[in-house]
Amino acid sequence: MTWIVWRQQRPVFITLVAGLVVSVAVILMWRAGMAGDLRAGNLEACVEKIFDGCGGKAADEFQDVWFDRLHAAQGTVLAAPALIGVFVGAPLFAREYEQGTHALAFTQSVSRTRWMAAKFAVAALPALVVVLVYQFVVHSWLDVAGDLGPLATGPFYFTTFDAQGVSPVAYTLFAYTLGMVAGALFKRTLVAMTLTLGLFIAARIALSGVREFMITPTRVLSDDLDGRSPVERGPLVVESGFLDARGAVVADPTPMMNCAGRNDAQGITDFEVCYRENGLAQRFTDVIPVEQATTLHLLEASVFAGFAVLFVLGTVWAVRRQV
Amino acid sequence: MNTSPVQARDVAKHFGRTKALDGCSFTLPEGSVTGLVGPNGAGKSTLLSLIAGLARPTAGEITVHGTAVRGRMHPDVSLLTQKRPLYDQFTVRELMRAGAAMNDRWSAERADEVLDLLAGVAKDAKVRTLSAGARTQVAIALALGRLPKVLLLDEPLSDLDPLARDETLRIVMTEVAERGTTVLLSSHLLTDLGDVCDHLLLLDEGRVQVSGEIDDVLAEHHVVVGPAGLELDVDGVVDSSRTSRQTTALVRGTVPPGWETTHPDLEALVMGYLRASRTRRLARTQ
Repeated sequence: MTWIVWRQQRPVFITLVAGLVVSVAVILMWRAGMAGDLRAGNLEACVEKIFDGCGGKAADEFQDVWFDRLHAAQGTVLAAPALIGVFVGAPLFAREYEQGTHALAFTQSVSRTRWMAAKFAVAALPALVVVLVYQFVVHSWLDVAGDLGPLATGPFYFTTFDAQGVSPVAYTLFAYTLGMVAGALFKRTLVAMTLTLGLFIAARIALSGVREFMITPTRVLSDDLDGRSPVERGPLVVESGFLDARGAVVADPTPMMNCAGRNDAQGITDFEVCYRENGLAQRFTDVIPVEQATTLHLLEASVFAGFAVLFVLGTVWAVRRQV
Repeated sequence: MNTSPVQARDVAKHFGRTKALDGCSFTLPEGSVTGLVGPNGAGKSTLLSLIAGLARPTAGEITVHGTAVRGRMHPDVSLLTQKRPLYDQFTVRELMRAGAAMNDRWSAERADEVLDLLAGVAKDAKVRTLSAGARTQVAIALALGRLPKVLLLDEPLSDLDPLARDETLRIVMTEVAERGTTVLLSSHLLTDLGDVCDHLLLLDEGRVQVSGEIDDVLAEHHVVVGPAGLELDVDGVVDSSRTSRQTTALVRGTVPPGWETTHPDLEALVMGYLRASRTRRLARTQ
């Protein structure tokens, strides 16, 4: 059975591998070129950590050339799961139904469950490996740019988070199984492809909005009421605001509004004083620290994997009831 | 215990409100070749897929060699479906390998034998490049490689030219002669059926109208011709037509005296039933 599915999926594999080889070649070429630019601009130290000497013309020129490309590369890692879902998952069963070849398998002695399992595994495995390899290669390129590239914004910046850790594989599994169940239910490749793309994008947007509520955030406090947020770039800010003297969150916006309209003779408000007069004692910021990025990856991935399991069950149900 | 190759008892299959099959009972004798006929939509394909185990009946039971068919392919049954689905991008050789991989019992020799019959099918040719006749031959090779005891063929002769039709039937007849396989084949090509079938199963609107050995069935029916004015007053009138000069009717059972009677041939018999079916349907819609 494995051989049959492998033989059926051969054009898909060839396309996947060819796509991977070409994009990896391009990335490795750019990676080498970029490393050369870093050496030429004497910027190698800035990759580790940005310090005062890094803001010069050389760094600007470097970022002009490479920053958008690096960002775009992260974008392609985000797009990869959708492509797998649309072009590998959706046609998996839909094409069999369209061409009637499901009847060929159904009229042999192999059970439907085994047929499904073989199709699922043999088509999924190479797709997941390709996504993983591609993610790894793109990331190795981003690492070379370090803090001069998109990684400077920390692990929670959306393009970085979604293109890192277990997330791409989880999204791929989700998109692939979504395509599979859409194909098994609607039996039309084009319908399944369209649905997969639309639902995948919708689900990704919806779930990235609730991601930050999956972990209880850490509260960072500051006595400086008028200063900037005490949190540096990097952690994911879930919420921020003020606490009163008893340490309770001030939900009522009146104190802030009172101060916003009160100018002294020079037209400047001393917010620090004004806020304290209005009963605000501390500023708080609820964050998810950088160290918890992996935990958040795993939590979010488990949600996507949960959906994937549902989609697989849906496929089993749909295929078993097919005449 | 009943061990006839195929037996159906009160089989029904409903799709929502439509009754594709309703109360079908029949038995196919060992080694018989049965022609399954009926108008389009009579439930022929549904019946074949139920016997194969592709679908479950809504009611009733089908047994193959005494064991009930339950929602999966019976190991003794091969079904050639109407569209002859094959993996188009495979070569013939690869397709036979797939057949071996998908079946517990598989005879590569038997499959090759079928492929080599007649003009022979090139084993390295891609399936999609084959002619309709060769494609059917490949599909039959795949069906016979399973070494079935019951062979179900759904419209095996459609889209074939007369030569390919003849050759396909020869493959099937060789199988029956050599292995004693029981065959149930549906077709609209009545003349071809007459050459190969010894039994007839006539379905209409999901019900069995006629079932039995063709010779007996033909002996039981009469084509009667009489003057236009004469009324034919018996129960068994299947179908009748009038012209200004005479009345012609197909009658099952005994015919009252005073009529000129002959026995119909298979084609006339089936045509009579098909016409009657259409007349009934038209009468209902008006």
